[in-house]
Amino acid sequence: MNAVGYSSPFVPAEWIAAHGVRPERLRLHPTERLTRGMCPYAGALLDAALEGKGDRHLLPERPCGCFAQKVPVPFSGLVLATTCDQMRYVAAMLEQRGDRPIFLLNLPSTWQTPAARQLYLDELRRLGRFLVRLGGKAPSDEELTGVMLASNRAREEDRKNSRGPTARRKLSRWGDSCTVAPGGGSATATPTAPGIPLAILGGPLLETDCEFFALVERAGGRIVLDATEHGERTLPRPFDPSRLAADPLAELADAYFDTIPDAFQRPDTRLYEWLGRELAARQVRGIILHRYLWCDLWHAESQRLKQWSPTPVLELDVGPDDTAAPNRIQGRIEAFLEMLK
Amino acid sequence: MNDQPQRITLAEWDSRYAQLRAGGLTEPDYGGPLGRHVADGDVRLLKLRMDNSPAALRLWNFLLSEEDRLHRSAAEGKKLVGTMKDLGTVPVMAYSLDNLVAFYPDGAWWLPCLLGGGAGLLEIADSLGIDDSFCPVRALLGAFVAQSRFPIPGLLTCSVGATCDDFSAIAQRLESLGFPIVWWEIPHRRPPDAEEEAVELPGGFRAPAGQVAFVRSELGGVREALEAYAEQPLDDRRLAEGIARANRVRRLLADLRQLCFTADPCPLPALEMLIAEMLAIHFCSDHNETIHVLAGLLEEARRRADAHVGVLPADAVRLFWVNPVADLRVMNLLEDVGGRVCGADNMFCHALDPIPTDLPPLEALARMALADPMVGSAVERAGRICAEVQRFGARGVVISRIPGASHCAMEATIIADVIRGTLDVPAIEIEVPPLTDAIEPTLRTRLEALIEMVRVGRGIGDWGFRIAASHRPLTTSHYFP
Repeated sequence: MNAVGYSSPFVPAEWIAAHGVRPERLRLHPTERLTRGMCPYAGALLDAALEGKGDRHLLPERPCGCFAQKVPVPFSGLVLATTCDQMRYVAAMLEQRGDRPIFLLNLPSTWQTPAARQLYLDELRRLGRFLVRLGGKAPSDEELTGVMLASNRAREEDRKNSRGPTARRKLSRWGDSCTVAPGGGSATATPTAPGIPLAILGGPLLETDCEFFALVERAGGRIVLDATEHGERTLPRPFDPSRLAADPLAELADAYFDTIPDAFQRPDTRLYEWLGRELAARQVRGIILHRYLWCDLWHAESQRLKQWSPTPVLELDVGPDDTAAPNRIQGRIEAFLEMLK
Repeated sequence: MNDQPQRITLAEWDSRYAQLRAGGLTEPDYGGPLGRHVADGDVRLLKLRMDNSPAALRLWNFLLSEEDRLHRSAAEGKKLVGTMKDLGTVPVMAYSLDNLVAFYPDGAWWLPCLLGGGAGLLEIADSLGIDDSFCPVRALLGAFVAQSRFPIPGLLTCSVGATCDDFSAIAQRLESLGFPIVWWEIPHRRPPDAEEEAVELPGGFRAPAGQVAFVRSELGGVREALEAYAEQPLDDRRLAEGIARANRVRRLLADLRQLCFTADPCPLPALEMLIAEMLAIHFCSDHNETIHVLAGLLEEARRRADAHVGVLPADAVRLFWVNPVADLRVMNLLEDVGGRVCGADNMFCHALDPIPTDLPPLEALARMALADPMVGSAVERAGRICAEVQRFGARGVVISRIPGASHCAMEATIIADVIRGTLDVPAIEIEVPPLTDAIEPTLRTRLEALIEMVRVGRGIGDWGFRIAASHRPLTTSHYFP
């Protein structure tokens, strides 16, 4: 089976899988080979794609939630999204090299108009044609519906099976990851579990950032809301079976486009609405904003978040040195938690 | 009075101004000696050398009096529209209505340079969490909060989508401070797939018809916002007239660019050419006067070209410039070390191309907006740069980084690689902060090295170019230091 690597949560893994292509969410290692101004995630993606390091998928996870084993799998293509400038330029660089098909999903920043939603839907159709060119097969409505219902079940299963004191990252059936809060959902957090309940917010994480969750626990906290790009913030809502019969692709597009809040969207009000709901439901006492150096979109949210948030906010600006030697990060988290005690 | 074309200091300009006035110079109402702008805070003028023609005097006065013009328009009952980021599209629509005046708050980009440090605007941006890891356009936040640099417009529009993250983030921060924004989307331009209907855009890029239709619908939303604000209909007839006026500006600029980038010796300095280009994107808040200013520059350039005189030596090295400079002084520096600008991509080439007049107006504007070099792949942009380098006979390329700008992390690598692989001309990358005084020796050395390379290459059979251009397969090391 062909495998396609993708990086954005707005790329529906169900749509790729329905084409008979295996979706593989990219898990990236940090690189120190960064040009000035390049965000560590974009650099890691470029490095991985040019060197073939991205051709991996991840097998059983370790107890900490990290993924233990990596097995090279040749991707027949990469799907990136226009969520930020740096991703657009990474796509341009990879296109220029020309040895692997690249699909750049045009993701609207605006979301309040029917035209924006239609653009997203049209982009999914274009992605479908790309997948067919890679050897996939255009799915029937029934096939797509089957995949979406299976995805619903898999995510529900993940929620049931992921009870514990700290949010853990899981690999779902369709290649995307999700974080499940203690107790299995936003309304069922376990306030009696040890540690100060915290939320982590931000963009994508690198593999080494998994250590971050353990670091928080050691310092006396627990992440009850993972609102990073690899966390539950970016999970689409469950697909509505009653709408699947009419037009499964439209339902897929709506579930992703209408549900996932992000910092690149304009206006970004959905992000704050979602955060407001989830912070209250989880009884969060502090927010850690995890942002990479040179990520303008999350950086610009920092001050506003501090002014808006009902709880204290710790801004962590993470550079390549911090992922390799997290002493500075550790010290800041410990100080933050001491303040919250 | 010495009328030989030359670049002169501000002090020299004030003397020359007195002589010109004594000689019968007539000026528009915003005229006057340039030195008065220093008293208004534009202290960077003291470090610049400007063209000594009356046409350049009018250009500078026009540029530096925009704030007064906006206040006067507001006082006269005109409605102000702040058009952010699209660079050349919404202003054409706004100026199609007779009671709207559009301007670019993004122009605050140059305030840290002109004011010699920002005059507190950057500190305000800092306090709002927008620090110096962002591009200098962050001064815009300070300008809005302090309400000291331009009147606050009653309507703000901002294009998003395939725009730089800096501006998108800063505009969002602005909205969060209570300045409502009409957002409209320009998607990332991509080449049409084989099965898609393709549309030729102004400037030569191509895009799928679906993308053009999407932008047209977005501009339809902008049109409704303008109509509601102006309380006037913006019908196709008015839009067509607005497009015709914009094209008049673009034709003047095209003639000016063709003449100044090709004539030998160089008729007008790079600094004045940069500012002249900037007029095309929003007409400096007075469309008709923009035409007069550009016509005056073109007349002066023609006079000099016909007389075979110019502001630079005849052997000045012909260079193509990519991206606008945050410090205007660098345009002087390039010429001081023996270069001249023969072609430039200041990130808004689409605002210099004629807008199609054989199409419904919104369709024409949509095509023009989508032709923005910054909304497509940097590889495509590099292709257009290569074509312009050839057209104007440039022998080297300077890619100027903007500090903190999200697109600058990778674009120079892509553009330089395409140039070297296509044209056999050397390309260098420099970074230009709003004030370059502290790093001027370094910049000077970099520019001198480029000029030397071009000169040596010329003298001994272009071997230098071939070394620079030898096509290499792209590897990771190609993109990383």
